[in-house]
Amino acid sequence: MRQYASKTALAAIVLAAGLATGAGAQETIKVGVIQPLTGAFAASGNYVANGAKIAADEINAKGGVLGKKLELVIEDNKSNPTEAAAVAEKLIVRDKVPVMMGAWGSGFTLAIMPKLMEYKVPMLVETSSAGKITTSGNPYIFRISPPSSVEAVAFAKIVDKLKIGKADFLVVNNDWGRGAADDFGKMFKEHNIKVGLVETMDPPAQDMSAQLAKIKASDADTLIITTAVEQLTLIFKQAAALGLKKRIITTGGSQNPDQLIEQAGAAANDTTHITFFTPWNPNVSADPAMAKAFIDEWKKRGYPFAGLTESFRGYDGIRTIAAAINKAGKAEPEAIRAAFWQIELPGMNGTIKFNKAGPAGQESGQSNPGIYLIKIENGKVVLPSA
Amino acid sequence: MKRVLPAFWLIILLTLPLWLRDQYILHILITTGIFIIAAMSLNLLLGYTGQLSLGHVAFFGIGAYVSALTTLGFDVELLGGFRVVHEPWPAVTGFFIAIVIAGLSGYVIGKLSFKVRGAYFVIVTISFAEVTRLVALNWVELTQGPLALTNIPPFTLGFPGLGDYTFWDKTAYYYLVAIVGLVAYVVISRLVNSRIGRAMIALKENESLASSVGIDVTHYLVLAAVVSAAIAGGAGSLYAHYIKIIDPDIFLFIYTVTMVIMVITGGKGSLAGPVVGGLIFGFLPVIVRPFAAPAVQWILYGGLTILVVFVLPRGIVPTVQGWIASRAQSKGAPAGLIWAGNSEPGDAKR
Amino acid sequence: MDQFLQHLVNAAVLGGTYALLGIGLTLIFGIMRVVNFTHGELYAFGAYTVYLIAAALGLNFFFGLVVAVVAGMLLGAMIEITLLRPMRQADIDTVMLVMIGAWIVMQNTELLVWGGVAKAIVTPFPDAPLVIGPVSISWLRVFVLAAALLLILGAYVLIHRTKLGKAMRATFQDPDAAALMGVHIKAIHTATFAIGSGLAAAAGALLGPVFLVTPTMGDLASLKAFAIVILGGLGNITGATIGAFILALVEELGAGYVSSGYRDAMGFLIIIVVLLFKPTGLFARAERVG
Repeated sequence: MRQYASKTALAAIVLAAGLATGAGAQETIKVGVIQPLTGAFAASGNYVANGAKIAADEINAKGGVLGKKLELVIEDNKSNPTEAAAVAEKLIVRDKVPVMMGAWGSGFTLAIMPKLMEYKVPMLVETSSAGKITTSGNPYIFRISPPSSVEAVAFAKIVDKLKIGKADFLVVNNDWGRGAADDFGKMFKEHNIKVGLVETMDPPAQDMSAQLAKIKASDADTLIITTAVEQLTLIFKQAAALGLKKRIITTGGSQNPDQLIEQAGAAANDTTHITFFTPWNPNVSADPAMAKAFIDEWKKRGYPFAGLTESFRGYDGIRTIAAAINKAGKAEPEAIRAAFWQIELPGMNGTIKFNKAGPAGQESGQSNPGIYLIKIENGKVVLPSA
Repeated sequence: MKRVLPAFWLIILLTLPLWLRDQYILHILITTGIFIIAAMSLNLLLGYTGQLSLGHVAFFGIGAYVSALTTLGFDVELLGGFRVVHEPWPAVTGFFIAIVIAGLSGYVIGKLSFKVRGAYFVIVTISFAEVTRLVALNWVELTQGPLALTNIPPFTLGFPGLGDYTFWDKTAYYYLVAIVGLVAYVVISRLVNSRIGRAMIALKENESLASSVGIDVTHYLVLAAVVSAAIAGGAGSLYAHYIKIIDPDIFLFIYTVTMVIMVITGGKGSLAGPVVGGLIFGFLPVIVRPFAAPAVQWILYGGLTILVVFVLPRGIVPTVQGWIASRAQSKGAPAGLIWAGNSEPGDAKR
Repeated sequence: MDQFLQHLVNAAVLGGTYALLGIGLTLIFGIMRVVNFTHGELYAFGAYTVYLIAAALGLNFFFGLVVAVVAGMLLGAMIEITLLRPMRQADIDTVMLVMIGAWIVMQNTELLVWGGVAKAIVTPFPDAPLVIGPVSISWLRVFVLAAALLLILGAYVLIHRTKLGKAMRATFQDPDAAALMGVHIKAIHTATFAIGSGLAAAAGALLGPVFLVTPTMGDLASLKAFAIVILGGLGNITGATIGAFILALVEELGAGYVSSGYRDAMGFLIIIVVLLFKPTGLFARAERVG
């Protein structure tokens, strides 16, 4: 009798275990997330990853995707393109993710793109802004962040109001910065704005006083700057030290105005910025309720407010991926890729819908968000009066 | 045993993809293998001629860029308005041109740098690599700068009668790297064991003495630089056509440091040293990744480097070889051993 | 012309701090013959110490500077005693490898402790710059220049006018004779490395507030320091000082008039050109190469 009971118990345990693990194995849909969690861009990468987590938790609370839980497999590209390609390989081959989001920096995203072609897995690009990403003929790329060409087009709608006569450029020496100088320069010429100097700076450079001295002596009335928040801080401080009096407008979406105010202090006052999300004023968002809910959740989790200017991309990215998976009806790379073309959903800064970009027959998807112009005055972010 | 060991490793090397199914590990092996080839070439300069070349990654990068540009084609305007247009050529041609150009730059740098020695030479080589990086970064018209050269095509071999074969598959690429690695190994070992090699080692040991017996020091140093650079350039080409994207970060000092660590911990001046060092430092990041943050990993490597220098100053391979040799000696003791001390054979039995 | 004067002023400020880096390294590399890869890390350490004291703990900024220099000297002494002293008989590339290992450990420890994000240090100086004619210079930079010049003078006096300095010079010119004269060789080695490191930390402590503090800030500083040492001649403090100002001037004018992208390449180009044509540096006395 005891033997029979123990055998039954054993069988029951094994069965239960089998059910549990079996059920557990089918329970999640994995989505790969590649971000710089360490290295020079660690702050930004972590903001995006945390925004992604908020989206995943929100989706799972509402029942998940296709009846299963969404599981983010987050990998670190160490702010390095070679590492980015390596972790993409790992996610696809080892973790067998059917779709990914990444990889913050344009260089990292570009490094991953051959892998997408090789393994035929789609990736949603949430931050990178190099034009090349959507014009290389890679049908596995779907981008929600705008390249500078899209940014310039959006800016063109309000540029006449700013009455710029002649503009100088000070841009970081990479695709992002040079691309911005090219695209904005082209747009300016179409609006009868003269283009003066185009100065560049190396990404790790800390001393821009030579370039600023040159710009100070020029006859332009406006200076357009494209770079990330660390260099912006230095530029503002050095410009103030030189007594540079021109109007400053920054582009690119990596300005992080709160950090600018904190670190550049008074030197950041009277600067204007083109951004893609205004957490200081969620009412002007495309979907104010959603924006407010996201901001509240972010604050609730104790993350720094300054991170909202980047984390919203992780949030929007995961929601877009979930929508595509739902549309596809199955967690398979090819189905998800086809589904991306068919979805349309509200994002933080406009409707997310992918348009064709790049060479015919191998188009990538590009969504066109709206932009916001903000100004820093007296240590606070304000929306300039219309 | 001594004969069997290399053959054993050779068999493992050649049959690996047949029993190793994990594509990710194969990928790591391929990139590690490429870096091992570069490390072996560095060993020629660092280990055998005793020159502290810390700009080695420049040759690797030059090989990568030359190969990529040869296969992608380019269109630049030089000073004076000359326009240079190049049509894309096959990848294999790119590989050989990369070797030639890298070797040439080795010649130029060799001839220029060997006017100085020791610590000065270190600085010159580092500076050369940095300048190369900045040129790659800023000459956007040619190199695309930080945009990177993308969509680099893989190697395609044409077999008469059989058609073309393109190296998309990892297994095929593994064999390609293994074969190039073996060729490089053989070239280096033949060079080192020849009269030329002996001259190189002589000038490492004592340069003034070597030149006093008539060895043309600069000539041999330059020769070492050319061969070393050429092999590194070949490795760079392999890298470009495998990863299929090349950006100026390839010239970063940290990659030279990685190669130097591979060579010195493995054992500079030994043929197998860079291979062992390369395998260790190629796989260590992969093994440690799930457990430690990258910063912690690098602290481990730094600590390991210091430890190896203190504990195994000649590197792993020479120390192990020495250890095996001394064990063999003591095992062979009974025949012809000269007794030390006053004890008679058989004392211990009493 | 205005632009030119502004460039000159910028170059002067940078040159002063570069000189501190260069003097520190010429003592270590030039006299001790150690290829000191940790020099840049001491520079970063100085900056992070000021950040810790002034920004994180909120104490007095100038107190932070002093602590940075003293801590830098102590750290340098520690490195010398633990890593270099046992290696004194080893050949130069072994020592170099140990220093590379130490550099990796130090930089990544900094990364682990402070994170990769750049940090700003707020200073008690007013934001509005000092304006003299067409030239603007922030008060912070005026202070940095003044402090740097003071330290340079101090280093010169130390090496050339004090007993310690004499003992240092004797030790490295002829260690045996110096030992016979009663000089504590081991202590002198430690002291030299400590002073060199302290100067690097001072440079970092002064420049950190001017720019930003990042874990990799030392790398470029290290390479520029080597350029200065080579330009000025190994072991030559006056040469290093002049070399530092030359480098700063070439960088500033090159970036202003030629190409801003190649700014940091200037230092390396100088190294290569100088070493090819005048390997002993511009100012060295007869010195055996290598």
